[in-house]
Amino acid sequence: MEDHSLDKVAMSGPALASTIQRFSTSPGSVDGLIFGHVSHIPPTLTDDSPNSTSSATLIATVTAFFCSGSTLSFYNSSGRVDPLSLRRLVQAQQAQSPSSHFLGWFSGRRRTHLRPSLREFSVSNSLSSNPTLNFPIQNPPEGSAAAPTLTPSLFLLFASPVTDQTIHTHEYRAYQFRPSKHSFEPKSIQIVNIGPAFRAHYGNFNPSSPFPILPCELRVSPMNVDRGEESLDQLKQHNKDQSELDMCSEGLDVGSLSRLMGSEAANYTAGVEDLYEKMLVKIETLTRLVEQSSTKVLEQENHNRKLRYKAARSAGLE
Amino acid sequence: MSSESVPPLVAAQLNYLLTHFPLVVKIENKWSGSKYYPGFLDRFTLVISYCLDVIKWDVVFDSESPFSAPDVIFGPDDEKFQQFLVSRDEGEGDSKFNMKCLSDWNSRDPTQLMLLIHELRDQYMSYQKKRVAEVDDDRLKFEISTIVAREGIEMQMSSGVDKPEEVKFAVPLLDVNINKMVPVYPWRHQQKIYLQIVYPVEKKFVSTPSAPRLKLVSTSELKTLFSIDEVKLPPWLNGMCMAEYLPHLEESLEKQVLEAVSLVDVRRRFIEALALQFGRPVEADSVLCRKATFLAASGVFTFLVHVLISTQFPKQRPSLMLQSSQHFNHHGVPIKSLPLTEFPWSPRWELPHMAERICDYLTDEAVNFKKHCNEPPPQH
Repeated sequence: MEDHSLDKVAMSGPALASTIQRFSTSPGSVDGLIFGHVSHIPPTLTDDSPNSTSSATLIATVTAFFCSGSTLSFYNSSGRVDPLSLRRLVQAQQAQSPSSHFLGWFSGRRRTHLRPSLREFSVSNSLSSNPTLNFPIQNPPEGSAAAPTLTPSLFLLFASPVTDQTIHTHEYRAYQFRPSKHSFEPKSIQIVNIGPAFRAHYGNFNPSSPFPILPCELRVSPMNVDRGEESLDQLKQHNKDQSELDMCSEGLDVGSLSRLMGSEAANYTAGVEDLYEKMLVKIETLTRLVEQSSTKVLEQENHNRKLRYKAARSAGLE
Repeated sequence: MSSESVPPLVAAQLNYLLTHFPLVVKIENKWSGSKYYPGFLDRFTLVISYCLDVIKWDVVFDSESPFSAPDVIFGPDDEKFQQFLVSRDEGEGDSKFNMKCLSDWNSRDPTQLMLLIHELRDQYMSYQKKRVAEVDDDRLKFEISTIVAREGIEMQMSSGVDKPEEVKFAVPLLDVNINKMVPVYPWRHQQKIYLQIVYPVEKKFVSTPSAPRLKLVSTSELKTLFSIDEVKLPPWLNGMCMAEYLPHLEESLEKQVLEAVSLVDVRRRFIEALALQFGRPVEADSVLCRKATFLAASGVFTFLVHVLISTQFPKQRPSLMLQSSQHFNHHGVPIKSLPLTEFPWSPRWELPHMAERICDYLTDEAVNFKKHCNEPPPQH
C-alpha cells in the first residue's frame, strides 16, 4: 500500500483557536474528528532562492472539526474503532460540507505530557488499517497512474502543562500515523491567518456556509412586481428564493438583490451595505439562540456531573 | 473530607497495585486533570522497578468518567514500545499482548490496574529483549545466546543523544531462597542478589572489546543480614564471557551468604554472653541479633548500654552507646554518648571473654560518661 508522507499541516487560526476553546471549556478530556483536504502543491520555480527544493509538497489543510465533548466517542477503551459510530459522525459532518474529507482525529487531555498515549496510538493504528476510509489527494502530480489516496492518518494532540509553573496554558502537536512504519511522525503546523503572507492559502479553503445561488433577473424591477402580472410559478420561485435568502440574512427582500447588478448597481452601494448589515443581524440572532441553548445544555451537564460524582463516590463506598 | 482525594474506585485500584505487585512499585506524583473539581486526583506517575533501574509511566484516569479504563503514557524514550504492543495485539502466539484488559475494564474489580501494569511490564521486558537482540555487536550476540535461558534475567538498551550506546543486564544470582534461610524474619519481598553488567556497544573495528562494568546489587531488606558492599568481585579477565564468570561468582557468593546466616547465631551467643555480665537485656533484636540494650549501673548512676553489632561481627567489633537514665539536656532528651569503638578487641577471643572485656571497659568509661552528664550544657 502506498503511504504518502505529509510535508506539513495547515490550519486556519480560527479553526485552531476554536478547537482549543472546545478543549479548554470541557470538563474533562475530549476527542473529535478533523476534516479538510490534502493537496499536492506543485513546485514553484523562483529565481531568488536557488537552493529551494524542487519537489512538490503534500499539505493537509484542516478546514473543519467535530468535537464530541467527551472521550471514547468512536472507539473503545483499548483504542479499537467502532465503524458504526465513526460512520455516523463522519456522515453528519459531510452532509454539511460534502467536499471535505475525513483527515483524522484529535485528542485533548488536561495536564498530561504531550506524547501520544497507548490508546491514542491504537486508535490511529486502527483508523489507518481500514481501507474504506481512504480519501483521494487533490491535484495529484501528473503522470501518476492511479489516483493517490491517503488514510485518515492525521492526529492532533492537545494538552495543558503538568505543572503550574509554566507560563503558557495550552500545548498542541500534529502527527501523521505512518501505517508502513507503525509509528507517529511529528509534523509542523502552519497556522494560516489573515495577512499578506497567507493570501495564497485562501484559495485552499472552502466556504462552510456558501451564499445561495439566486436568479437575479435584471428585468425584474420593483415596478413590474407592483403590477401583479406574475404567474403563479414566478410567485412560487420568488417565495423559494426568499426563504433561501432568509437563511443568511434577516428582513431583506429578494427583489432588492437585483438592484445590486447591472447599470443601476453603482447607485446602490447602500443596498450592499444593507445586505451585509442584515446578514450581521441574522448572525446575531443565531448567536443569541445558541447562547440560550448553551446555557440550558450547561445546566444539564452540571446536573449530570453532580449525579456522576455521586454515583462514583457511592460505588466506592459499597 | 480533605480537599484533595483520589476517587474511591481509583483508590481501590491503586491500593491493590501497591500491596500486591510482586516487585517494587511506587506512586511518584499524583495530580488532577479535572476542570471543576481540582481536588479529584486522577493522574498518577508510577515508578516501576526494571532491570535494577526504574521506568516511569503516567496512568491517566478521567474524573469525568470514573467507570472507564485508564490510559497509559509511556516515557519519552519508549515511543517504539507502543508500536511493539500494537503489533503484539495483532499478532498470534503465547506472548500476544491482550488489550482485552482495557476493553473489558471493570472499575469495580480492584485487581484490574495491577493486572494491566503487570502485563505491560512483561511486554516491556520482551520489547527490551528484542531491542537488545537487534544490536549489531558480535560479543553481545554471543553473551545473549549463552545466558538467555537464565530465569528472571532482565535487559535494557540505553541510548541517548550524548550518551554512548550501552546494554544493561540484571542477572539474578543464586538459586537458593534467601527468605527461607532466616524464616522468622518478616520479609516483605523476595530477597535477591543481582549482578548488574553494563556492556558498551562496540564499534565494528575495535579488536579487543572493553570489559563490562560490574556491580552487585541486593534488595534493600537483605542489607540487614548481608552487606553486599563488602563482597569483592572476582576480576574480569580479558576475553571472558558471562557464562564463565557467573559460576565462580555464584559459588563464592553462596559461601558468603551461608556464612552471613551462620553469623546470626554467633551474634545471638554474644548477646547471651553479654547477658551474663549485664543481666537480661532490656531490649534485643531476637531475629537477626543486630542490636541489644542493657541496663547498667555504676554506684547510683544508672544508664543504658546500646550494643550495635554489624554483619561483619566478630571481625568487626560492635559499637557501644551509653544513654543516661538520669540526665537530660535542655530539650528534655536523655544525654547519650558518642558511639564508642575504641576498646580492646580481638576477633579471636572467645565470646564470654569479649563480653567480660566490654564489661571491664564500661566500668571505667561509666565514670567518664557520668562526668560528661554532670557538665553544665554548653552555653550558646
